Amino acid sequence: MKMIHSLFLINCSGDIFLEKHWKSVVSQSVCDYFFEAQEKAADVENVPPVISTPHHYLISIYRDKLFFVSVIQTEVPPLFVIEFLHRVADTFQDYFGECSEAAIKDNVVIVYELLEEMLDNGFPLATESNILKELIKPPTILRSVVNSITGSSNVGDTLPTGQLSNIPWRRAGVKYTNNEAYFDVIEEIDAIIDKSGSTVFAEIQGVIDACIKLSGMPDLSLSFMNPRLLDDVSFHPCIRFKRWESERVLSFIPPDGNFRLISYRVSSQNLVAIPVYVKHSISFKENSSCGRFDITIGPKQNMGKTIEGITVTVHMPKVVLNMNLTPTQGSYTFDPVTKVLTWDVGKITPQKLPSLKGLVNLQSGAPKPEENPSLNIQFKIQQLAISGLKVNRLDMYGEKYKPFKGVKYVTKAGKFQVRT
Amino acid sequence: MPYLGSEDVVKELKKALCNPHIQADRLRYRNVIQRVIRYMTQGLDMSGVFMEMVKASATVDIVQKKLVYLYMCTYAPLKPDLALLAINTLCKDCSDPNPMVRGLALRSMCSLRMPGVQEYIQQPILNGLRDKASYVRRVAVLGCAKMHNLHGDSEVDGALVNELYSLLRDQDPIVVVNCLRSLEEILKQEGGIVINKPIAHHLLNRMSKLDQWGQAEVLNFLLRYQPRSEEELFDILNLLDSFLKSGSPGVVMGATKLFLILAKKFPHVQTDVLVRVKGPLLAACSSESRELCFVALCHVRQILHSLPGHFSSHYKKFFCSYSEPHYIKLQKVEVLCELVNDENVQQVLEELRGYCTDVSADFAQAAIFAIGSIARTYTDQCVQILTELLGLRQEHITTVVVQTFRDLVWLCPQCTEAVCQALPGCEENIQDSEGKQALIWLLGVHGERIPNAPYVLEDFVENVKSETFPAVKMELLTALLRLFLSRPAECQDMLGRLLYYCIEEEKDMAVRDRGLFYYRLLLVGIDEVKRILCSPKSDPTLGLLEDPAERPVNSWASDFNTLVPVYGKSRWATISKCHGAERCGPELPKTSSFAASGPLIPEENKERVQEVPDSGALMLVPNLQLTADYFEKTWLSLKVAHQQVLPWQGEFHPDTLQMALQVVNIQTIAMSRAGARPWKAYLSAQDDTGCLFLTELLWKPENSEMQISVKQNETRTETLKSFISVLETVIGTIEEIKS
Repeated sequence: MKMIHSLFLINCSGDIFLEKHWKSVVSQSVCDYFFEAQEKAADVENVPPVISTPHHYLISIYRDKLFFVSVIQTEVPPLFVIEFLHRVADTFQDYFGECSEAAIKDNVVIVYELLEEMLDNGFPLATESNILKELIKPPTILRSVVNSITGSSNVGDTLPTGQLSNIPWRRAGVKYTNNEAYFDVIEEIDAIIDKSGSTVFAEIQGVIDACIKLSGMPDLSLSFMNPRLLDDVSFHPCIRFKRWESERVLSFIPPDGNFRLISYRVSSQNLVAIPVYVKHSISFKENSSCGRFDITIGPKQNMGKTIEGITVTVHMPKVVLNMNLTPTQGSYTFDPVTKVLTWDVGKITPQKLPSLKGLVNLQSGAPKPEENPSLNIQFKIQQLAISGLKVNRLDMYGEKYKPFKGVKYVTKAGKFQVRT
Repeated sequence: MPYLGSEDVVKELKKALCNPHIQADRLRYRNVIQRVIRYMTQGLDMSGVFMEMVKASATVDIVQKKLVYLYMCTYAPLKPDLALLAINTLCKDCSDPNPMVRGLALRSMCSLRMPGVQEYIQQPILNGLRDKASYVRRVAVLGCAKMHNLHGDSEVDGALVNELYSLLRDQDPIVVVNCLRSLEEILKQEGGIVINKPIAHHLLNRMSKLDQWGQAEVLNFLLRYQPRSEEELFDILNLLDSFLKSGSPGVVMGATKLFLILAKKFPHVQTDVLVRVKGPLLAACSSESRELCFVALCHVRQILHSLPGHFSSHYKKFFCSYSEPHYIKLQKVEVLCELVNDENVQQVLEELRGYCTDVSADFAQAAIFAIGSIARTYTDQCVQILTELLGLRQEHITTVVVQTFRDLVWLCPQCTEAVCQALPGCEENIQDSEGKQALIWLLGVHGERIPNAPYVLEDFVENVKSETFPAVKMELLTALLRLFLSRPAECQDMLGRLLYYCIEEEKDMAVRDRGLFYYRLLLVGIDEVKRILCSPKSDPTLGLLEDPAERPVNSWASDFNTLVPVYGKSRWATISKCHGAERCGPELPKTSSFAASGPLIPEENKERVQEVPDSGALMLVPNLQLTADYFEKTWLSLKVAHQQVLPWQGEFHPDTLQMALQVVNIQTIAMSRAGARPWKAYLSAQDDTGCLFLTELLWKPENSEMQISVKQNETRTETLKSFISVLETVIGTIEEIKS
């Protein structure tokens, strides 16, 4: 018997602003154990996700500055609960555009309706976004205007057809005037680069997200030019695993709408290309109240594509009081309280490499920092899957019409860190 | 939390709800109801408008219905008499042509949580189970469990259970999963739902049609099924194969656990599975969700206990990135310690060295301790790094380095020389109790190799008055006395001063007593002091105690994908004990003390007892670990296979019995405290083929006899006979010893 007994939503300042109980009511005081852990952790980021109390276990996730704290009474598989809580947060994000305290409070009635449908007696029920949206329509500005005029509701009046289909992830009788199937190949590079610029660790985490708007019961197969690139692949339940094992083809009847088709990893055995390099010189002088800061970013192994959306974030040491810097492009900010330097670079033009240099003011008399800070880098490359993965073709069976098909590639920085 | 002025709000809302103009305007009416709900969720007591809300439920507007139902479920326990009025409307809605209304009404009715509602919901639930819309069936199936709970867990409705078992064949996958959940709850007293062969195979075949939550739960239920033949076992494993590649980490872990448990007699299959989930597990370790990462890392550590080299080639995966939360970093450091090997030790140490200067003192210290534990294998490199760290002259670093040094010289005496050279100067950078104790201990034990040891200790003696930690003073006394033995000339004077201070001025009694003790010891003579204080300076064998050899996969397979890997077994045992104490039914007496304080079996008898296992063809497995919960469940689900009565005269020593049983590998799960009448004990044992023997001992002093009831999970008369004879011998022996 495992189930989520109650759910509390808590904001960063420790207010419980929403609670929902599926079985009996559990007093809010159970959250005191959570607050205690929060106090001990000093930083909200560091609150451990599993806490035991004399009578319950609290399993929580931290998302968008909110804690989703679930109360559990018996032994549970922890991953199951964590995944479910993330699904709840994803659903709020999906419905309200953001998963914030304000959005949840504004839509509190819908939130309760959603929680009621997602769990019954503490067991997960409907969690697929397209099925939920048929049960409870999401609020939109337009719809709330229309609703207020016509008095119509944001609740589906009919039973979702998906509930009747024998394929749980797809509703029956789907109809579109334009039949389209789009795939986004999104790759994120996780990397740690050491002082000298060599790669300590690098790996590509990829996903293929699909947006399928096809009528009827289409049966799709998607093949790749180089399927052997993929190391570890996880599949959406719709994919026929045996087909992939024997032929390396993704064959499936897709859910309707947006969903994640596969996620995969290309790990360090296959060489991971690092698209940017950073030249840096950060130094603090002994017995002096200033230091020098100089970084330059340049392209490297970028396959001829433009690198854009570059942002550099640096957590400076505590003794740094202020920074006087000049960027050759973009703009920078330094927050003297959190000591976070953010440089919004934009894109790299190889003719003139962006750089940021200047002076660092240190607290006088304090010892010089032991360690130079790490640089966290964000970037984006359109029309490129850095692993080289390429979709070969998409075939459709089971329906007669000709759909529009499209594939987009994008590469982004994941946890991309340069040590200095 | 009553808000100020909540009464006014209630009054105003009440008025609005009664206003016929508002009632006529659907939109305005709904808005007022929404306001009620809003206040309710903010914790305002809105039970005052219950009557008006019940009236509002009679509407065709589904949103309004939904809102009112939500309200009713919240306040029904407070206003049971009024809630009965609402039931009428709900009952009517249960036969609405719209399946959504039917489902909604049924769900709300089952969630009313008020006494006396059972008689009204029984019929709608039964109708719901046969509804043509799966949405309603899903609700009705879970409703059965809710209804059962309302009955106060008493009798089980056999007809309902049968109906639910047949609904396991429903074509809607969620109905199937809900049936499992519901049956599990209803049959809780009998050990939950029974998974027999047809059900197991049916579920396996439906697996691919379920959503991830359903899959995860079915995988968990399947753990109870024991395939009849090897062939069947491998068929099942083949069917499960694709779930190891699921996109949901929960399903992957569930499938892995099922593999490990089913293949418990095939170690190579287990290893193979662990190799195959390496990828998904590593992916989870770098998941976007930090909570998933954390739990996955805990499981990685668990696997490393059995397969130390398993993740070694992926060691870079466990390098910390500075933006990660602490609990992840700490786990990663632990993992790094455990997967170090000859190839990666250099890189891992370099990485850990980097963490030692982290801004967060906790993390830096964890990294230093990690280097210390790697030092047990790669001593020289680590000692060098640790020595360099001392050069930073940072308090929080120095104290931890000195502590690791202390542990290290004890386990790896070969590094003593290097440590002794590194120590001078450390005393300036240590302020905390733990660090001071470690330093003083090192100076005392290895002082003859550290030239300035007496002068460092002298500083401590000078400042002993202002020392706040009694533990440091104790350590100082012992260390100085030890050093006095090897370097008397330099120490005699200050030892005198310290003893004088401790005996005459010290307020802490323990320190004073220790001072007096040493003083009197010195009076006896220096040889006596040497004999007592100069114990060995190191003991490498202790290291073996600290990290036990590789544990077999089967020792933790049943804990996989539970909270145990997150807490660690010992902590988990204490946590679940206090949870268990609450839930535990009257069937089992509370576990009495397990401390081995009772009398040991006399030597001459011990030998006789140990011969017993060889007497039959039966081999009982040592260290069988059953939880009390599991025992209880199994006990209740089995029939008594053998019962007999043995004579037993006079007094009784439970501890002796427990010890004796342990010798022949029969574990005591629980027993009454000594002197209880009647006295009961529950025992368990397992032979090498996996056959479980569960035993109840019942001693009734008034009849002077001990009743033994044995249950067996597989019917095998031969082994049962041998087991009983073992048990008889043990009890007979104890009886003899006693008389």
